[in-house]
Formats: sequence, C-alpha cells, structure tokens
Amino acid sequence: MRYLLLVVEPDEPDRGPTPDIEEWVRRHDADGSRVLGERLRPAADVRRVRVAGGETVVTDGPFTESKDVIGGFDVVEAPDLDAALAIAAEHPGSWGGGTVEVHPFWPTGSTPPA
Amino acid sequence: MTAPAAAVEDAFRTEWGRVLGAVARHVGDLDLAEEATQEAFATALRTWARDGVPDRPGAWLTTAARRHAIDVLRRRRTEAEKTATAARLAAPLEDAVAAGGPDDPDLDLLRLLFTCCHPALPLEGRVALTLRSLTGMTTPQVARAFLVPEATMAQRLVRAKKRIRDTGIAFRVPPAQLRAERTSSVLMVLYVLFTEGYDAWAEPADDVAGCADRRALADDAVRLARLAARLLDDEPEARGLLALVLLQHARRDARAGADGVTRTLEDQDRARWRRDEIAEGLRVLDDALAAGRPGPYQVQAAIAALHAHAPDVAGTDWAEVLALYDVLLAMTPSPVVALNRAVAVAQVHGPDAGLAAVDALAADPALAGYHLLPAVRAELCTRAGRPAEAADALRAALALVDREGDRRLLLRRLAALTPGREGGGADQTAAASGSVTSG
Repeated sequence: MRYLLLVVEPDEPDRGPTPDIEEWVRRHDADGSRVLGERLRPAADVRRVRVAGGETVVTDGPFTESKDVIGGFDVVEAPDLDAALAIAAEHPGSWGGGTVEVHPFWPTGSTPPA
Repeated sequence: MTAPAAAVEDAFRTEWGRVLGAVARHVGDLDLAEEATQEAFATALRTWARDGVPDRPGAWLTTAARRHAIDVLRRRRTEAEKTATAARLAAPLEDAVAAGGPDDPDLDLLRLLFTCCHPALPLEGRVALTLRSLTGMTTPQVARAFLVPEATMAQRLVRAKKRIRDTGIAFRVPPAQLRAERTSSVLMVLYVLFTEGYDAWAEPADDVAGCADRRALADDAVRLARLAARLLDDEPEARGLLALVLLQHARRDARAGADGVTRTLEDQDRARWRRDEIAEGLRVLDDALAAGRPGPYQVQAAIAALHAHAPDVAGTDWAEVLALYDVLLAMTPSPVVALNRAVAVAQVHGPDAGLAAVDALAADPALAGYHLLPAVRAELCTRAGRPAEAADALRAALALVDREGDRRLLLRRLAALTPGREGGGADQTAAASGSVTSG
C-alpha cells in the first residue's frame, strides 16, 4: 500500500537527538519504499486557494487557524500499516517534538497490491 | 432434524473464529471473510439436515466458506470486467483462495486476535470486533451486551473492518519487534471485555436492563483469555491475565446481595466464591510466575490470589498486598492503581495514612468524576472517626456514581452515618464540588 507521510513541524523543537534525514532518504530509496519526497518552503511562502460561490479567494500566511506547519512530505510504499508506521518512526520529522502523519492512499488503479 | 441443528449451533460456538480466521487469511479482507463464514453456516443448516453432519464440521465449514468467498470475488470481477485493474486486483486473491495453504486453525485464530486488537483501531471497535469475530456472537447479541442500539453496533463493526482494510492493517501475527506491544493490546482488550461483564455482577440483575447479557460477557472473556493463554504460551502475561480473570470471576456470585447492593470485598460472603475456579486461577498464576518475567497482569493476579487465600478482610496479608501494589504502581503508574494502593495503605498503616494517600490523588484530572475516589475517602473517614467528612464524601460520590449497585451501597452507608436525616437532600449541593469522575 501507498502512504503519504506529512511532516508536521514542532512549535518549539526540543534539542534531543534526531536521526539524519540524508541517511533516512538513502536507506528508503535503496530498499524501494520511498517513492518521492520533498522539503517545503516555510509558512510565509504558502498561499491558500478557495473557490466560494464561483469566486477564487487567495490568502497568504500566517495562518491563525492552524499552528501545524507542513515542513515536508514523503510518499512511501509499504506492505502494511505497521511497516509504514515503522518507516515514519525512523523519519527525523517524528523526533525532536515533531510529528509525522501517516495517510493511507485511497486505492486507485495505479497501485495494485503486491 | 434436531441433531444437525444442534451440531450447527455447536459448531457456531466452537468453529466460528477458526473458519473466519482461515478465510480471512486467504482473502485478506475481514468483511468478505465474515460474509462467507455466515453463508457457510447457513448452508450447513440446510445441507446437514439432508446429508447428515460431516465428520469434521470445522473443515467442512472452512471449505464451504472459501468456496463462497471465491464466488463473491468472481462476481466482483465480472462486474468490474470493464476496468482491467479491478480484474487484476481480484485475480491474485482468487488464486490464493483456491490454492489454500497449510491449515493451522490455532494460527488463524491468533492472527484474527491480533488483527482485531490492532491499536490503530479505536478501543471500542477493537472490543466489539474481537467479540464478534472470535466468539461468533451476532451483531445484535454484541449490541445487547454493550447496551447500544443494533444500528450503532453494526456501524461500529463496519467502521473497524473498513479501517483494517483502508489503512492496510495486515492480517497476521505481528513480527518479533512488535510482539510485546501488540500482545499487551490484545490482553488489554480482553480485560476491558471481562470488566464490562464482571461489573454487571455487582449490579442488581432484576433492576438493570440488559444485566444478564452483560454478565455473560465475563464468561466470554474468560474463554477468550483461556484461548489467548494457550495461543500465546510463551507470554507469561497472557497466563497472568487468565489467572486474574479466573480469580475475579470466581467471586461473581458474592458481588451483589439479594437486595441488589454491591458487596465490597469486606462484605462478601466468601462461602459463595467458587473454589474450583480459584484453584485453577492459582495454578495458572504459579505457572505464569515460574517463567520469571512478571508483568502487571501477573501482579494483579497475585493480589487477587492473596484475597482468595484469606478467610476474611482481617485475615488478609495486607502488608504483602501493599508491597504488590507498590510493584504494580512502578510498572503501570496509573491513578486508579494508586487509589487501590491507598486502600492497602490504610489497612497496613491506619486510616489516616490511607487518607493522606487518597488526598494526594484528589487533584489528578484522570480521577475527576471517578466515584470511587470520594467513596474510598468516605470509608476511610468513617474508620478515622470523622463522620461529617465521610458524609460529605459520600454525597460527592453519589453525585458521580452511575452504577445502580454502587449507588445503593453509597446510600446505605450515608443512611448509616446520618440516621433519619438523609432523603431530604438539603445539603447535597455542597458535596457536588468534589473533583471526581466515573469509572
């Protein structure tokens, strides 16, 4: 199954040790579980688009209604939820006060099960 | 006619989980497996009457259920013929069902147990699904046992199964590095299930709707704990849980009086404790402890064993009970454990020491709304010769209690403290300011 890992940045990072992101990327590229992933620019560079009543409204940050800032994402292919959770737990984004959300993909024709 | 019907009913009790587990292993879809298992039992009801009961009903049912699952998958494939992808999805599953594999009913049950108790499912979903999948209880039966409308329970079960499928929870025994964590999740679900039923034994059965159905849950939980102890024979905590539920369940007949009032350990007629079940519980506990890997269930069972050995409250080895609560608290720092420990403190060091331990917990938000916090306080105040404070605490407990048997017990204690005064409720509001919650 395919999962989106959303890296939610901590409000106040703690100073504990975190795994090395380069090493995480290398390992999961090598074992074939990482499909793609990117780091994202900070909240100040984010724009939001909503279309309401036929009118397009674009707003800038900062976003008062959400403290959660998405710092990056990865898409991984994992045999099951436990495996995806294990990959997320190794991601530096889930350390040091941060959170990694694991979103299962809605199944589509593009990802037949192994 | 009756013999085949009885055989089907018998198989329902003993084979449901195995058949469901075997089919789920092949199709990897609990919902489809359940449908196929149900269909197999319906077929059995029709054909066993005509053709006689097969030699191995379980194997017969598994084959019939697999066949039905294949039919469903074929049908789905035909319906989806236009989209090549859907056909690709169905094909390997169908092959897997047809190919079968070595049958190990116990392993199928264990997979089923771990899957139903996966921590990614909401707790109430885990409990309901475990009951539905492993005991063969029907959805209406499960709904009755939890006192919720059938539609609510049906939805709870559907959601849990959907989450298993949609989030990719694998139908399997977890790998070694997850084994300990997942085992505690299984044991916790079984203990929640047991408590749900066991608590109903402290209720007045005649006055509380659904009480008999809920009490039966305790039996189901003991059976499942037996199963878990057998399947997880390398896990002393599984045997610890079995010992704990056996030792507690043995006290069920003494938990409420004929008047429908909850009987605490102190007031229980110990002649009504089931000695054969206690003996079994003690044997299982010894066996668990012999592994030398203690855990919270073994410690709780050891505490229950001390009560089982004692002739009455006065003759209980409270120093040992307290020592075990210290161990338990170190393993699972929970305020409910701390409250139970406070009761032991009072027995060993006197009511004032017990009260100090209780009051240290008063501010804990996890206990806000728990009626036993002020109830214990009231008991200790009474023993310490402070009846006015005891009465206040009882009123606080009464404002929070939701169990009828406990409510009657609190009322009786309050009446004993304030003869002729209670019932007016003039000063009950003062008591509601307590900081306690419901259990």
